[in-house]
Amino acid sequence: MNGFRAMLGKELQALYTSPLAWAVIAMFLLLTGYTFSAWLIVGQNASLVRVIHQSAVLLLLFMPVITMRAFAEERRHGTLALLLSTPVDEVAVVLAKFLASLSLVCAMLAPTLLYPVLLDHFGHPDWGTVQAGYLGLLLLAAALCALGLFLSALTTNQLVAAVTSLGLGMLMWVLDSLGRMLPAPFDVLVVNTSLIAHFTPLSVGVVYLSDLGYFLSLTALGLLGAVRALARP
Amino acid sequence: MNRPDNPELRLPPLVEIRGLSRRYGDRLALDGVDLEIRQGEVFGLLGPNGSGKSTLIRLLTGLLAPCAGRITLAGLDVMKESAAARALMGYVPEDVMLYPGQRVHEFLRFMGRLRRLRGQVLADALERVRARLGLAEVWRTPLGRLSHGYRQRVLIAQALLHEPALLILDEPTNGLDPQQIIDLRELILSLVPRHTVLVTSHILSEMERVATRVGILLQGKLCSVLPLSRESRYRLSVVVEANEAVESLLSSLPGILEVVSLERKAGNERVFEFALAQDAPITLVAQALVEARLPVVGLHPVSGGLESRFLALTSRNTGA
Repeated sequence: MNGFRAMLGKELQALYTSPLAWAVIAMFLLLTGYTFSAWLIVGQNASLVRVIHQSAVLLLLFMPVITMRAFAEERRHGTLALLLSTPVDEVAVVLAKFLASLSLVCAMLAPTLLYPVLLDHFGHPDWGTVQAGYLGLLLLAAALCALGLFLSALTTNQLVAAVTSLGLGMLMWVLDSLGRMLPAPFDVLVVNTSLIAHFTPLSVGVVYLSDLGYFLSLTALGLLGAVRALARP
Repeated sequence: MNRPDNPELRLPPLVEIRGLSRRYGDRLALDGVDLEIRQGEVFGLLGPNGSGKSTLIRLLTGLLAPCAGRITLAGLDVMKESAAARALMGYVPEDVMLYPGQRVHEFLRFMGRLRRLRGQVLADALERVRARLGLAEVWRTPLGRLSHGYRQRVLIAQALLHEPALLILDEPTNGLDPQQIIDLRELILSLVPRHTVLVTSHILSEMERVATRVGILLQGKLCSVLPLSRESRYRLSVVVEANEAVESLLSSLPGILEVVSLERKAGNERVFEFALAQDAPITLVAQALVEARLPVVGLHPVSGGLESRFLALTSRNTGA
């Protein structure tokens, strides 16, 4: 996969020298920190389930902001043509952008590991639930990131990429409420395409292989779509 | 500096384009283009906006797939052996906004790594393009702070890092000041015959100065491929009833390479342009015109003649 390391280095540099990345990290930590403190101090509740759920919603909102520039900006500025005129592999370009974006999610989530450590200091949190919750967040972020990259690869306009990515994410999040109103067997079909239906078990510490498969399939689909969008039209 | 001499053009073609067509919806952007670009030449691609120049470049760089036809670069199919073919070319696109946060050396290192250069080879390549393109002064400057001229130099530098067989320059003179245009011309001429250069430009006089041959694209068709040898060109105005009298007279003279009828003015004044071999004296032509008792209105040298030939072709194709 020629060019992967060079692309990853360039993506990481571009991402972490951008004020946007630091703004996203700061807002994420501020909001999750507020929820954690409020539930712990005011609600006297030593569980992380609420924080994990809120983090999922924040990922839904922030992932389009992180991925919107990935290809739309390169295409608009003409640098995508420059990159693709070199012997670089399209898969390498997509994977580098995917891993760089996902690294930002890890940078957002890493400081929140302080919350279970604090809970452990004063009580006995269920570490299995905590681990499953973080696994769920990473899988959700990977799926949203791949879909965001795919949509960014289809346009030259960052805002269009962000809005469509946000819209698709929201739709897939709330699809379960729509599904429950439908007659069988459509209800099961629609509910099973919903993000929340597969995220909820993980957030409460239940790990089903079907949920892992769902998120991994969605991620693979998004990445393949992005590679396909870069292929010669 | 002179254009490369003809013996180099006897080498086999580096680029072969056969029956190349590309359609965007209902619009045929390229229509059955056949073209050969020989090793070591500077090939110019001319054409008005929308004639298919950019489409041809995008097909050649593998950024677009053709609807029909094929392109080979040094025997490699640009579509089927895309990565290998791309490794042999350097591309300088038009209107690129480079990553503003990256410094010049970081960007060139990054592009070098994408072009499979590593270690000492990459370090040597960076040093070479830094000296060749005069980038030492801005080596650590962020790309976002560079002037247009320097940005263009950086773009050319990235395309030369891997010593490509084919260098593709898409409208390279756009936005450059006169001195930068002269510098770019010198650079292009210094690249041949080691590299083959394909250049598109709207500036005919620039093309005349650097190109060995020029292909003229009109409405997606390659209308003509004109050699630009180092000949002298003259424009002759003469009052005659028919073109043939002058054309046959000029064509019969030694050293006359080409005669083009340009226009007919009021009072049967007709304007011709002819190319004269470099070593043939114009006095022979003047003497023949006098001996033929043709009422000559004027005879004067003109620049390479690409402009008149381009205009003649475009007016013929648009039916003007």
